[in-house]
Amino acid sequence: MTLYSAAIFIGFDIYEEAEHGVFEYLLSLPVSRRQLVIGRSIGGGIRSFIYVGPLIAISLYVIGSLNPLWFLISLFALFLFSFGVSGMSITIAVLIKSSDRFDILMGVLDALIVRLSTAMYPLAIVQAANPFYGGVASFNPVTFAADLFRWGTGVPEIITLKNPLLPFLGIIAFFAFFTFVGIIIYERHIEGGGWQ
Amino acid sequence: MKAILYILEHDFRNFFRYKWWLVGLVSMNLADLFIMAIVYNHMISQAIAQEIKSYFNFFAPGLAVTGLFASAFMIGREINMERRREVHHYMLSLPMTRLELAIGRVLSGGLRGMLYMSPLLLTCFVFLGFPTIWELLLILAVLFLLATGISGLSISIAVSTSSLEKFITARGLVYYTLFFCSSVFYPLSLIQQLGRDGKFPAALVTLAEINPLSNASDMIRSFLIPNYQVFSPASVISILFFSTIFTFGAAFAYMKIIERT
Repeated sequence: MTLYSAAIFIGFDIYEEAEHGVFEYLLSLPVSRRQLVIGRSIGGGIRSFIYVGPLIAISLYVIGSLNPLWFLISLFALFLFSFGVSGMSITIAVLIKSSDRFDILMGVLDALIVRLSTAMYPLAIVQAANPFYGGVASFNPVTFAADLFRWGTGVPEIITLKNPLLPFLGIIAFFAFFTFVGIIIYERHIEGGGWQ
Repeated sequence: MKAILYILEHDFRNFFRYKWWLVGLVSMNLADLFIMAIVYNHMISQAIAQEIKSYFNFFAPGLAVTGLFASAFMIGREINMERRREVHHYMLSLPMTRLELAIGRVLSGGLRGMLYMSPLLLTCFVFLGFPTIWELLLILAVLFLLATGISGLSISIAVSTSSLEKFITARGLVYYTLFFCSSVFYPLSLIQQLGRDGKFPAALVTLAEINPLSNASDMIRSFLIPNYQVFSPASVISILFFSTIFTFGAAFAYMKIIERT
């Protein structure tokens, strides 16, 4: 949940840069648009990872157990997830170019994507509560990330995944979509002003 | 009195500048109710289920109080920003007394909280049933007192902190202590039981018992949830006490600290 919320912040930075004229400076740099968006996605992903680092350390301390190999795989998945969320935030910010609309869209998205996931409760309970909620939660990248992190700890009591491959592929698909589609949208919409 | 009305108008105009942010906040509150609370219905133990019947019904009044708290607290952020950007010099130059200015700010924070909370309270009534007219008047009066107290608390923090970072840190500390050490999310009896079992510090149990958020949430529940704990006038006295201290404390702090250079 925290990783998602921290990675989203890169979109708000873009509006601040547009407001203060930093955007024009960035566009004038000797880097391609593609390098710019990839760099920003990675930067947004890494800084959100640094932000949640202490939380991950505390949760591991509380859980008190670790499977090193599984944990490294889950950590890699969380990296991809945070890059993907940063890419999504950048893509939406550049696409709508209105800080008001971005504010509300991110608020609504945050409310739905986190609550319709298994970050706070197991999938079986979500499905029992409402099959529609369960359906959405099954394909939610926050669900994939949360379940993979639980799997990475190696503690049987909290592992909810039978096969970690499917959520891992889901995270890769999420990352790839928002990074590569994001590049195309970024290249097409970045210039021409229109920021509100 | 007219000066206070001008301050109210000024602060309400500012409040509606954040309309998109408010819409996002309302949607988050509603998602808490219509997703999280419905899922939690299936997670509560039999013992708790017997006491509260349904987590959705239990949480709806708590959510209204949570919304009231968050929106009444917003005035502090604005006052802190005014102080940092030295807009307070303009406010002090207005043709009104310091007391009118201070009371106006505290009142507007409280009224903004009531405005934001009203759709959440209405949602609560729609799903849990409407109270009698006297109960409704008591609920509104107590929530207004609570909102004014929260606004006062927020203003006290805002004028005592010189930077946004310090304000946000203090706000986070107050937010999470008051939210999680209250009966907004879970019944007070559960916190008391954990205290008796030695799993929860006694000081935090006492804080949860006297917390105005607990008192306000439980008062609404006592009117709307059948067989829930009986309404206690002590909860109203507790909220009145909290509100009086922070309303006058904030007005005094605002008048004194804002004049410092």
